[in-house]
Amino acid sequence: MSVLEVLNKTLPVPDDITTSLTSEQNIFYTVSPREILILILSIIIAYILGLILSHHIRLRISHRLKKDQIDILTGFIRITLIIFAIGISIPAIFDLSITLFAIIIAAVIAIIGVSSQKVVSNLVAGIALLYESPFATGDFITSGEVSGTVISVRLFSVLVRTVDGVYVHIPNDQIYSTTVSNNHANVAKRYVYSVGIGYKDDVKLAEEIIEKILQDYVFVLKNPAPTVFVSDITADSVVLTIRAWFPSNWKLTRDDISLSTEILPKIKEGLEAAGIEMPYAQQVIWFGNKPPITAETGTKQN
Amino acid sequence: MFGRYEPGFSYADPDIRIQLLDSDDLVRYERECAGKKESKFLGRSFTALHIHPVEPVNLPEQLTNYLEISFPPLVLPPGSSQTVYLKFPVEIGVFLESGEKRNLVDIFSLAPVKFSLYGTPSSGVITRWYYSDIYTEIPETNPLREGVMTLQIKNSWTEAITVSRAVFDGPSMCLFYGDRVAMITNMEIISSSITHTTFSDIAPAGCPNRSIDLYVSRGFSLTTRKGYFMEAGTI
Repeated sequence: MSVLEVLNKTLPVPDDITTSLTSEQNIFYTVSPREILILILSIIIAYILGLILSHHIRLRISHRLKKDQIDILTGFIRITLIIFAIGISIPAIFDLSITLFAIIIAAVIAIIGVSSQKVVSNLVAGIALLYESPFATGDFITSGEVSGTVISVRLFSVLVRTVDGVYVHIPNDQIYSTTVSNNHANVAKRYVYSVGIGYKDDVKLAEEIIEKILQDYVFVLKNPAPTVFVSDITADSVVLTIRAWFPSNWKLTRDDISLSTEILPKIKEGLEAAGIEMPYAQQVIWFGNKPPITAETGTKQN
Repeated sequence: MFGRYEPGFSYADPDIRIQLLDSDDLVRYERECAGKKESKFLGRSFTALHIHPVEPVNLPEQLTNYLEISFPPLVLPPGSSQTVYLKFPVEIGVFLESGEKRNLVDIFSLAPVKFSLYGTPSSGVITRWYYSDIYTEIPETNPLREGVMTLQIKNSWTEAITVSRAVFDGPSMCLFYGDRVAMITNMEIISSSITHTTFSDIAPAGCPNRSIDLYVSRGFSLTTRKGYFMEAGTI
């Protein structure tokens, strides 16, 4: 028993569908080369129409949408047009009713959906990402254990290039279900550094030196102003915390490492030039009932 | 220094040195500014070199299209207008003339660079920041380092307002040069939270020459110069 006969018996179908079902046996015998040509032509016309529409969309709204969004939108339009062309021409060629054809398409989609849930979930996540747009091509993101620059955002996945130059393919549903940090979503980003100085050093002088270095550094933003303050007094040093804002789209703020290699050596050189010590971890050990030994002379104090 | 120059030209002062050297089928362009050197070969098809002041939002790399000038606080009564003069940084652009086209070859500057954030990190903009005193008369400037901005402020709001900064849109700028580098800007305070800054395309007195639009030379179509709406305050 064929599928169509089962559908005939189980589904309450209107007359036109029944007529189509009874003509099922002749469907493939009545198709002429001319009708196949019409089908191919309609697909080509839909494809060309899709290209023209995509071109106009790019021209008209490229300034309003991000490149990824335009790519996905134009791709969606092209696919829709081709499906529409097939949906119009196939029922006409095979003498099927639109309703029956819609049922067949729905059944095919359902089968594909059930057999490849992961693909569908990636597609749905891709559409959600397109709508919410948490990042775009060129942004530096961190998702799970992956950090890198977004190469492209597609319907099913996101391609990321890590700072090591490795291409990472992340399925959209994975991106959508995990926390994503985007370094470029905001125009400015704050960086925090800690520097330890010796107990004997002048804290005020160290703060002034660091503030001067930050003020002279072109890419440290004037507003919000950078701040330097004592944040901790540890066993080994007085800890100064430095907070400074930088433009997010600057090449050295593309990741968290490049900027550190640029700014921290300047601070170290500035402090050392002023004679401010950046001490190692150290301990002073006192022996019971014995006078302490000074580090400088090695002699016992009286 | 600003103007149009034929091949074979050279310029030198204590801060800037530019020369074009013949080298077989190519021309060698050399520039030195504040200790920084730039050298490149140019094809012989160009007919002239243009050196003009350009929109000061390009160095050391283009991170923004906005120029922010901070100045001492100025209190304006409701409905009042005030014209003041400010200084702004000058960047110098070198363009190749080939037919009708002007193509950028080099940009350099003697002015200090600092960036700032206008507004919040999520909705604000990065700006090229510069501090200027307020002048009631046209101040003396070194045109290779600073220009003079005529700022016409109008308070259309119903309350007195304090103004200590102005943010301008780079593509909307209309720069002129002559005795000095200059531009005329307008700042209309529409409400306590919205201020509109625009540029006038009228040449200031003593500066009859219009600079090449950097954005136009890069292929931008500037049919409307809409200015910038400051929505994060004027203080």
